[in-house]
Amino acid sequence: MSLRALAVSGSDPGLGLGVVLITTPLPIPDMSDSAAAAVDGAAGATPLGAPPPLTKLELAKSSFCGLDLAPRLDELGRMGWESLDEATLTIHLKWLGIFFRPVSPGRFMVRLRLPNGVISADQLEVLAEVVDRCGEHGSADITTRQNLQLRGLLLEDMAPLMESLERVGLTTRQSGHDNPRNITGNPLAGIDPDEFVDTRPLVGAIQNVLLGPDGPRNLPRKFNVAVGGAPDSFLLHNDLAYLPAVWKGELGFTVMVGGFFSAQRNELAIPLGLWLRPEELPQFTLAVLRHYERRGDRTTRNRSRVMYLIEALGLDAYRAEVVETWGALAAGAGEGVLHDGSHLVSRAPRDVCGVHPQKQPGLCWVGLNVPMGRLDSAALYALVDMARGYGSGELRFSESQNVLIVDVPAQRADALLEEPLLRRFPSDPGPLLAEAVSCTGNHYCGLAQISTKSTALAVLQELEQRLVLPESVRNHWTGCPNACGQPYMGQIGLMGAKARKDGQMVEAVKIFLGGSMADDPQLAVLHEKAVPLSDLPDVLETLLVERFGASRRNASA
Amino acid sequence: MASPLGLRPAVMVSSLGPSPIPVPSSAAELPFEPDPAALPAPGHAERWPWLLALRRQRPLVLEPWLRAIEIGQIEPESDLLAVLSDQLDGDAAVRLLRFWWQHPQQNPSLPNLVGRVRDRAVADLLAAALADGGEGLEDPACQAVLWPLLGHQRRASDFPLLQRRALQPGPRQVRQSALEGLSLGLSAWPLPALRSTLISLASDLDPLLAGAAVDALARLPDARSPLILLSRSSLEASVAERLQRRLRALPASTLLLLVHGRAEGFIPPEFHSLAAELEQRRGAPVRLRALTDPSPIPPQPLGDPLSLIPLFLLPGGHVRHDVPAIATALRRQGPVRVLPFLGAWSFWQRALASEVAQGAVDSCRPRLLHHPIAGPLAVRYLAHLERVTGAACIQTPEAYVDLAALAGDQRGGLIPLSLGASRLSESLAPLLGEAAAAPLLARPVLREGLLQALEVLP
Repeated sequence: MSLRALAVSGSDPGLGLGVVLITTPLPIPDMSDSAAAAVDGAAGATPLGAPPPLTKLELAKSSFCGLDLAPRLDELGRMGWESLDEATLTIHLKWLGIFFRPVSPGRFMVRLRLPNGVISADQLEVLAEVVDRCGEHGSADITTRQNLQLRGLLLEDMAPLMESLERVGLTTRQSGHDNPRNITGNPLAGIDPDEFVDTRPLVGAIQNVLLGPDGPRNLPRKFNVAVGGAPDSFLLHNDLAYLPAVWKGELGFTVMVGGFFSAQRNELAIPLGLWLRPEELPQFTLAVLRHYERRGDRTTRNRSRVMYLIEALGLDAYRAEVVETWGALAAGAGEGVLHDGSHLVSRAPRDVCGVHPQKQPGLCWVGLNVPMGRLDSAALYALVDMARGYGSGELRFSESQNVLIVDVPAQRADALLEEPLLRRFPSDPGPLLAEAVSCTGNHYCGLAQISTKSTALAVLQELEQRLVLPESVRNHWTGCPNACGQPYMGQIGLMGAKARKDGQMVEAVKIFLGGSMADDPQLAVLHEKAVPLSDLPDVLETLLVERFGASRRNASA
Repeated sequence: MASPLGLRPAVMVSSLGPSPIPVPSSAAELPFEPDPAALPAPGHAERWPWLLALRRQRPLVLEPWLRAIEIGQIEPESDLLAVLSDQLDGDAAVRLLRFWWQHPQQNPSLPNLVGRVRDRAVADLLAAALADGGEGLEDPACQAVLWPLLGHQRRASDFPLLQRRALQPGPRQVRQSALEGLSLGLSAWPLPALRSTLISLASDLDPLLAGAAVDALARLPDARSPLILLSRSSLEASVAERLQRRLRALPASTLLLLVHGRAEGFIPPEFHSLAAELEQRRGAPVRLRALTDPSPIPPQPLGDPLSLIPLFLLPGGHVRHDVPAIATALRRQGPVRVLPFLGAWSFWQRALASEVAQGAVDSCRPRLLHHPIAGPLAVRYLAHLERVTGAACIQTPEAYVDLAALAGDQRGGLIPLSLGASRLSESLAPLLGEAAAAPLLARPVLREGLLQALEVLP
């Protein structure tokens, strides 16, 4: 039975997916006509059965598309942005990847799109200049979505920046707010001896469709998409993840849906019960997003992620509606194959740092640990030179916020390891720094309770002085419950908080333990409430000794 | 669970993770009273959801919150300010800023979170406080926080204050923050004054300050010109390197040098040499084109901006008719910026005056010998040139054989108003000697001056 038929009949595929789901569909308003809904809301009366009035945010989003600001950037830069109202400044500009930062008013952030985390030296050189121009205010952070975000820019920078980016084939489009975010893939795609499939062309094709004329422009909430290609492609924290899977001897992808982290709730993606051929991914992704755009909840923002829609409809009905949308998008769209959700991802992501042979004989990749993912202009320029001088001019960013120089001839790897930059970004970092991930922290974010990056760096360096660890320990630092640093994915998760110590309110962290991205994925759970930062090294030392096999250096001496 | 394909089972997770903080999804589920007295203390498990609920209150009545902060009932913690900040109006921001002046130790990030509000009352408060040092603002660190906020207000009338603070000697931290204020309001300030301020600061002894000035200068319209001029001065090494990096990122447009040329479009070698050196200095293409060239103008690569430079010395028919026609044709291919003819450039007139002065003998200045032109515009131009250079402008005789009489005139030498080798310069050479009759581009000072002027073009 094809899924198209199922979509029509609504019958249960009987797969016994074992997922606890709401099977009785809840009434979901069709929000496709936002303008009409806005008018209803504005009138102050909601007729029986009519869509609920839009929130102020949804009204602002539906008033015009932020992409329409692109031709005005030059004018805004020259004339100043006095004419921009609060909504345009803080909401609509994010459609162009431009973020007003309340903590540093006037100094903006720009988030790029780097499909699959791939970037060329020529592209990175443009970004290095942009960061350099911002002087002491400039930096670039590698994000947990294999992306880069630049800090310290003035609005006057935007028009020339967008031109420069376009010249080298980069875009910032729809990288923020309620849009499909940067699409991630295997950071080693195409060079990975262990990969099942090269995710780069698939990720690129999905991005092209989503940013194309039929792509979504006003989602109810942000949406994360990822494509796995290797045994360690852990992607269940995405709203939509494609994991490599075999059906009747053919390699394709099983579809996982609904993963997300937030201050209220954290979920790993669940099987949709559908298997797709690689070439079907772009249009199917578009269908998922178009459906979500139309049917997602816009009334309660903290219940807007796609998992809530799946629960409201019931998994079977959700799948049927998505497949129907897929079929309606274009003639010749696939139908998918019912699938039990089994897949080939079986282990936690590798530590990408170090020198590793590529699948191309004679070549290797060199992974460098970027402490907390933060780059300055000098480091960016150095990476450009190294990628050109030793490799093919290509670099990759990993979800662990590290950088890879690829296509390095094996005989040149030793010379690369002698480069001065490696004193800052080692290829053989300690077992804690290697797997440390952090959100931006309170230097740039008003919600963060602590300076995550500098705190993490100081604490981890201290612990590596004190301890010997048998293997790396993935640790995720985040400044607030919004969980941008993904604390639930870490073997150790740390979340900024406040605590009282000696009668004073001090900066602290909550500690979470038990996160796993291996074959039995687990989210970390709260272990300890609010440990003052001054006590943190000692508390973590004990944890690492007792639970992670660490031994104390002074004890061994 | 076994997979029918013999593969590892799928991950079947519906709710693995904790939901550490239950948050009311709507006011209907949990009535919410935005009372400051009910705000859970920092560190309390309920504080975060409470603040999220507060954030959803729109519009929020601010008065109780301002009052609670002012009387010390609640601390102005960053998480609370982050929630309040996007609902603050000018008056509320002023009250919180005043509170911070009295208690700057309470939260160093308060001014930034509050000062994002762009409002006349906030700008007035900041300007008044910073103009006279501000009561309670003697601490340079406190002042340093506020100067950028004043710039963020982007009020043109505050430029002199920011300019003075950045330029005048004082604590480094304060000068740097005043410059940051200038950077944050960049397009709001009067351009000429801003440009000269930044040029001054770029030579400052503090490399951080100088570097930031270079960065700001690079963002101004037509930034190549001041940057190149600045690069010719003595700068601290790191600042000079920074300036070169900024210059590399400012793409120079293609220049099309339009010259008269000779028969069949032949262009004298002086122009080729000039173009080649100019191309090397600018790092961008420099094309040469003769008016006499009968072939069509090659198209410009799509989207590349082009600057058309008419290298003509007099406002004759070529300047008035041919150049506009060529510009119109070029604009069909893409954006074209047309500069005035060379003779109109004030630098060029000054350079000619200098050349004339150099050639004076016993206070007898050489005369400028030019091609025949007519019309009121030409007359006015030549009169202007005579005033600027102090040299008489003489029209070439119809018959070049009469040049001998001019050359033999004891009232002074002759300088041919011809950029490249021409019939005029060639006719004068036997009479005056090669050096004296040299076309203008063969004269090192004029050539270098022209190169420098063309180099700094956008």
